[in-house]
Formats: sequence, structure tokens, C-alpha cells
Amino acid sequence: MNSPTPVIQIENLAYAYGRAEAVHDLSLNVQPGRCYGLFGRNGAGKTTTMKCLLNLLRPQRGQVRVFGLDPAKAEVAVKRRLAYVPDQVAFYPWMSVRETLDYLASFRANWNRKTEQELFERFRLDPAQRTGSLSKGQRTQVALIAAVCPETDLLVLDEPTSGLDPIVRREFIEAVIGAYQEGSPGKRTIFVSTHLITEFEGLIDEFTIIDRGRVVVTLDSDQARERYQKIRARFAQSPPELDLTAALRVRRNGRELELIANGSGPELVERLRQHNPESLTTESLALEEIFVATLKS
Amino acid sequence: MLMQISFKSSTPIYLQIVDQVKDAAASGALQPGEALPSIRPLAEELRVNRNTIAKAYSELESLGVIETLAGRGCFLKENHSVLRKEVRRKLLIEEIDRAVVQAHHLQVPRDEFLGLIHERIAVLDDKRRANENQKEVDRP
Repeated sequence: MNSPTPVIQIENLAYAYGRAEAVHDLSLNVQPGRCYGLFGRNGAGKTTTMKCLLNLLRPQRGQVRVFGLDPAKAEVAVKRRLAYVPDQVAFYPWMSVRETLDYLASFRANWNRKTEQELFERFRLDPAQRTGSLSKGQRTQVALIAAVCPETDLLVLDEPTSGLDPIVRREFIEAVIGAYQEGSPGKRTIFVSTHLITEFEGLIDEFTIIDRGRVVVTLDSDQARERYQKIRARFAQSPPELDLTAALRVRRNGRELELIANGSGPELVERLRQHNPESLTTESLALEEIFVATLKS
Repeated sequence: MLMQISFKSSTPIYLQIVDQVKDAAASGALQPGEALPSIRPLAEELRVNRNTIAKAYSELESLGVIETLAGRGCFLKENHSVLRKEVRRKLLIEEIDRAVVQAHHLQVPRDEFLGLIHERIAVLDDKRRANENQKEVDRP
């Protein structure tokens, strides 16, 4: 079976600022139509990776391909098919919101006015307001409108919601789902880097966790929730001495035991059950808890 | 219908939605001909990937639980299984086997297990009746 060309291919990417290595031997693939998360702490190498995709930095080793093309050699061909929302949004402060969007639209072959109008209303923005007097949240909203309206195949989001209030964050996500994904169902690809994982939880199909420039793990979200489990058991007396080396983490308190399992959940549950616990519950870890568990172990 | 999802369940999100629609159909909370929420508003409301909802609905459609009417949305179907009787039996047997194994591990004896099955069917019947009565009350 022919698999389609990945929208993003990163192979053994390395980049250092002077002697400080920001990204080391990083590889990942993003398939068309997927929403892919790049998760890492501050300084993990997320933005450096993003910049290599956008030809804002040249890879020092390895290679990146976007739509199968080298972003350094085919910059225009790549950029006409993607839109980008950076973490720090900057516009010409003397321009109004309307002028800013018209200016940005002038670089694009396509601009959906209906979507623009819909998002204006959703975000309650004033087209006449100068961008210099917008709040951080409003600047991000304008940047999102500018990224969604050209209806590109790929949307790249770099820490898009950090520093925004919870309501603006929610509206941001809803706009990405409603306005961007709806346009060409099943075909629009999203690549998002963030350390605010909870709010993207439902959107992410697949993710890579990076730490100090290296890939820690790449997982499909559904598989991740199946693999990573939190098991709680309470015993009548103090918990029996058990072999719990299969657990990623163990917490004990009095008669209670809490385990974090990575793939070994069923085995651990069986072992606990043999000691007749008063109660035994299992739940999956949310992506953010997986992130924390992975980086702490 | 108001859907709920949980990221703490090991069941994939799309299957959680499939299961809820099936439950609602079995209990009569969702009536044949009744509309399901449209994909976009539901995805926005639950803040999940649009494709997740689309996947759930296409699964429900292939199971014959719902039908999509072009331009109008998705609706619960009358008498819904498109599968042949043997296939339906086989699918149910798999589920029953799983419950039987679970009963063994939880040390629930045969008679108690059979009693529980009768009890659960009665619970579902009660729900159906309650939803029927509700419909009568709602009727002007």
C-alpha cells in the first residue's frame, strides 16, 4: 500500500546555538490530516524545531521536509501551503486590525472572507482598532484569523496559547476546530508545540515529547491513554510486600497504594488483586500526566 | 443529546461517543428519527478533534445505528442492525465471554451471574419505559 507523503518529515535534526545544543538527533513524521503535538518544557527545543521547518533556521545536521520539499530550497512553494502562529505575535502597531488583515491577505492566493467575518464576531474584535493597542490575547486572535483565512493545508502553532487567559484559550481551540478543521474535513494538518497540554488534549491525535533537544517518546493519543494507567488499591491492613518494579512510579500512604503503569497495567492489577484489596481502581492518565510521568522517571 | 467524554478512560474518545449513542438508542433516550448533534458544534463543544467525531459517526453509520441525510445531518435509524443474524450473535457472544471471564476472576458464582443478567435487562427495560412515558407527557 502506498502511504501518502508525510506533511512534515524531520530526520536526525540537530541545531546548536554556539556550543549550546538546542536540538539533538530529532526525528518525527506528521501524516496528512493529523493534529500532531510537540510537547516539551521551556527550552526543550520546540521553537528551534519549528524554526527549522519554516526556514527561519537552517538545520546544521539532518534534514527537514515539508510537503516533501526542502523549505530552504522551495521556500515559496512551502510557505504558500502553510500558516504559522508564533508565540510572540508582532504587527505594525500603527495599522488597524482591518488594515493588518488586508495587508496579510495581499500575500495570499486565497482568503476566506466568510471565515474572517465569523471569527471577528466570535472574538468580538473591532476592525478599526490599532494593533498597537490590542491585548496579548487579541493579538493572538488576529494572528489566528490571519492563519485560518488563507485555508492552507498545514497550520503550524508555536506555543499559541501561553500567556493567555482561560477563556481566550478555549476560544482559540474552538476556532481551530471549527473554522480551520471544518474547511476541508480530514485533510487539514496541524502541528502544534506547547507545554500547556491539557487544553489541546482532545485535539491531539499523536505527539512527541522532547526533553533537552531529544525525543523522549512518540505516541498515538489513544494508545497512550491505554498504556499509561494510574492504579489505586486500598488494603484492609498495610499493603503486602509486592514486586512492583514494573511500575513507573509507586506512592504509598498507610493502607493505600498508587501506581503509575506504562503498559504493565493489567499485570500489576492482577498482582494486586491476588492480595484481595478492599478497593482497586484503574484510570488512564491524561496527556499532561503522561508528560509529567515521562519526564520525571 | 448531551455527550460526555472522559480523558481518564482508556476507551478511545471516538468509541466513547459510539457507546453513548448506542446506549441512548437502546434505552430509548434517543428515538428513531431523532437528530444527533452536528459534527462541528459537537467537536467545538467537547473541544475534540473534528475527525474524532466524524470517525464516531461513520462507525455508527457502518453499524447501521444512524443514517446521514445529505445536507440535513445524522439521525437515529429505525430497527438498526445491518448485520446478519449470525454475525450479530457472534459479536454478542464475544462480549458475553468477556463478562463470563470477568465473573470468574471476581468470584461471582454462576447463579448470581445469571441473576445479574436478568436484573440488568430489567434495568434497561425500566429505562425504556420511563423514556416512553416521558414521550407521552411531552406530547401536547
